[in-house]
Amino acid sequence: MIFTLSSPQKNSKQFIARQGQISFFSYTSVENIEANNNQVLSIFDTETNEIAVNMLMRAFVFKKDLMYEHFNESYIESDLYPKATFEGKILDFEKNNNQLQTKIIRGKLTIHGISKQIDIKTNIEKSKDSYSMTGEFIVAVSDFQIKIPPILASNIAKTISVKFRFQFQPYEE
Amino acid sequence: MKNNRLIIFIICFCFFANFKLQAQDLLKKLDAELSDEKIEEIATFKTTRLGLGHSIETRKKGALQISLYNRYWDIPDFKGQRFLADVVSTRYGLEYSITDDFTFGAGYTNYDKISDGYLKYKLLKQQQNSKTGFISLTLLQTISHKKITSPTIYQPTTSDGYAFVSQLLIARKINQNLSLQVSPTFLHSQSNRFLNESKNQFAIAFGGRHKINEHTAVVSEYFYVANPLKSIETYNAFMIGINWEVSDLMLQFHLTNARNFAEDTFITRTTNNFNFKDGNLHFGFNATFILHTRKNKL
Repeated sequence: MIFTLSSPQKNSKQFIARQGQISFFSYTSVENIEANNNQVLSIFDTETNEIAVNMLMRAFVFKKDLMYEHFNESYIESDLYPKATFEGKILDFEKNNNQLQTKIIRGKLTIHGISKQIDIKTNIEKSKDSYSMTGEFIVAVSDFQIKIPPILASNIAKTISVKFRFQFQPYEE
Repeated sequence: MKNNRLIIFIICFCFFANFKLQAQDLLKKLDAELSDEKIEEIATFKTTRLGLGHSIETRKKGALQISLYNRYWDIPDFKGQRFLADVVSTRYGLEYSITDDFTFGAGYTNYDKISDGYLKYKLLKQQQNSKTGFISLTLLQTISHKKITSPTIYQPTTSDGYAFVSQLLIARKINQNLSLQVSPTFLHSQSNRFLNESKNQFAIAFGGRHKINEHTAVVSEYFYVANPLKSIETYNAFMIGINWEVSDLMLQFHLTNARNFAEDTFITRTTNNFNFKDGNLHFGFNATFILHTRKNKL
């Protein structure tokens, strides 16, 4: 208790990433769809090992402008569900390990208003006072009740691969 | 005994509540970080035309629209044996977006031999989480020319076939399904076909769409003419139909009494009312393909 009180402010326990990157890919023989979001927010706590991610669906950039409109209007319905979020915990996280560590993050992913339990393998690297996290995982479109009309079923992959990269800095309130 | 249980329950509850609070705390902190930036409303309508007339929408920079509009109708008491419909009129159109807000287009209709062109500029955009951006406003200016091939050499065939239409397209996306549009319209015709008629006319177009699922919407339009022509009997144009979006292709199906495609002609010179009689009922089928000549860098 005394230790926590006396520790200086900059030795903070929470870390934030304000310009996290998330990109997703849908590969089919008909069409490849790729999108990128550079404004993903994430925060994690080295005491509780809890992590949260929050992003605006409207911030995804697509190669074709029409894809952006279809993604937001017809599939993800960003008027109704503007955000996607994740809350979870890094399992067996070693906060003082300066080496690259590969850990599982277990938590709840919410897209299109539907929440799903998910395990994500993550590479975590500590450098001085910051952490970086990268990884890749796969989500099934059907898990999040995103409706694809039969006529377009061959244009959109059943599973979407998602890549992420976060650079965490100490969080000051 | 009962008391003890209650205490345990309260302790448990507090413990869980506390745990839950922490997880939500992190998300709450992120919510505070999210900027309250104004977000432009997208897809008030999914097509640049509702059916007959223009919608407030323009395509993004570099988009090329290739369109084929067809109108089918029957001739009353027609003795012929034509396939499908007695008459088919087709407009071939091309549209290109120079910027996200500025588009120009041109088309030619084979039935009435009208060539038309337009400029369209998106002036105001409806905003989310904002008190100022209540509506979207688009300006439209069209020009059309009717080629008159006179049956006799005595009929004047000079440039009297030009007509201009200026429209203020005002629309609001009421919710994610319903969008409404009102467009005050000014029409000027150089035609001297009707003597003693005003060359300037005013009209108001009303339009709306209601989405029935993610990809389809019911659309309707009505054009009220304030000072209709007196020399011939004209009716206000009406359209009801379905718009269907299939990836890069937009398909529109509608029933209407309007026969022509150029704004100046169908708004003021629709000579039949909307009903199901031969010659009055027109079936419209529009196909528009969108080609992106420019791709965003990721």
